[in-house]
Amino acid sequence: MRIADVLFRQGHLSDETLTAVLLDGDRPAHLNRCDRCSGRLRELGRWLDDLRSEALAAADEAFPPERLALQQAQILRRLEQLDEPSRVIAFPAHVAAAPRTDTERRVAPAWVGVAAAAGLVMGLIGGQVWATLEPQRPAPPAVQADQPETMTPPGQPVNAELLDYDFERHVPDALVFFDEITPALTQGQYAAR
Amino acid sequence: MTEQDQTPVSAREADARVAIDIRAFQAEGRHDAARERYGELVARYQRRAVRIAYHYLRNAADADEAVQDAFIKAYMHIGTFREDLPFEVWFTRILINGCLDRIKARRRRERWLAPPMLDAAGVERDPAEYVPSRGPSPEDLVLADERHNRLMDAVAELPERQRMVFMLSHIDGRTSREVSAMTGLNESTVRVHLFRAIRRLRGLLVAPTVKGTVAGRSKRANR
Repeated sequence: MRIADVLFRQGHLSDETLTAVLLDGDRPAHLNRCDRCSGRLRELGRWLDDLRSEALAAADEAFPPERLALQQAQILRRLEQLDEPSRVIAFPAHVAAAPRTDTERRVAPAWVGVAAAAGLVMGLIGGQVWATLEPQRPAPPAVQADQPETMTPPGQPVNAELLDYDFERHVPDALVFFDEITPALTQGQYAAR
Repeated sequence: MTEQDQTPVSAREADARVAIDIRAFQAEGRHDAARERYGELVARYQRRAVRIAYHYLRNAADADEAVQDAFIKAYMHIGTFREDLPFEVWFTRILINGCLDRIKARRRRERWLAPPMLDAAGVERDPAEYVPSRGPSPEDLVLADERHNRLMDAVAELPERQRMVFMLSHIDGRTSREVSAMTGLNESTVRVHLFRAIRRLRGLLVAPTVKGTVAGRSKRANR
């Protein structure tokens, strides 16, 4: 018996001592002659048993046999996946790398750019050479000489004589009759004066 | 059948033989045979494992995943298993480490997530919880649920080491030496944690009115 039990508990055993009795099985002699302590020991033992059975029941309720069987199957399935070597899926590049037939031709993309640049340079040089070798063309004809040199600016009164002159010069013979029977503009202007 | 096969062997020796067989099958590339042999170990220790994980994590779905992961890890590292240790000790250590990792991850998550949905009784419901269709009456189920919840809450209030030692010692029925091997704690430390856990649980479950006093004492004891 501990000194603390003798001093503070009138010789009765502490809870720690009783727990140690239950856990270790070393039964002190005091328990044989003290009904109170042996009663406390029994009560503590019952409480611990109830606690254990409650705890186990709670876990077993959450994991019934069906769930354990399912869990076991899941574990074995995961192990199977671990053991299986991973499958390698062929990348489409392998399909494109198949050997070509004789009828197929392939032009390297670099050559396309080179050919375009060469064509541009040759076109520029050829154009320059052609321009130097080609004979001089005749100059475009000058402005008609018989065209009246003076033009009436917009907003000025029309020169009636010039107008008659142009009319007579360009009117075809078939329309002369109609011209004679039609009063001339100049006649109207002279009459007004 | 040889004479050695006829001799009764202890569970520890049987586990060691299974482990040796699995290693040999794996080396030969006979994975089907290795898995089949390992299935024996899974069936033997599965229930024990879910009880530990469930009380440690307090969530059936998390416990399910933790147990699965522990068995997978043990299979992958069976080559490092030493036959001088019982398989269940080695496996329990893997399981406990996995549970601790999950608890840490959960705490990190909970810092950022909204609180979980609770039912009318304030208990987080796990959709994976199994509800038996026949058996005890609804009243019995409610009472049992209440008792379980009180017990789980009380166990959850224990400090981490006390909880671990209490579960392994009292609920799983391991000796102090076995718990010491599983947890890496000294035997004397295991006993101290167990005493403190029982004292605190008695304070929480037997006399809830003096909870504050017990908690205060336990805080001093945990230092």
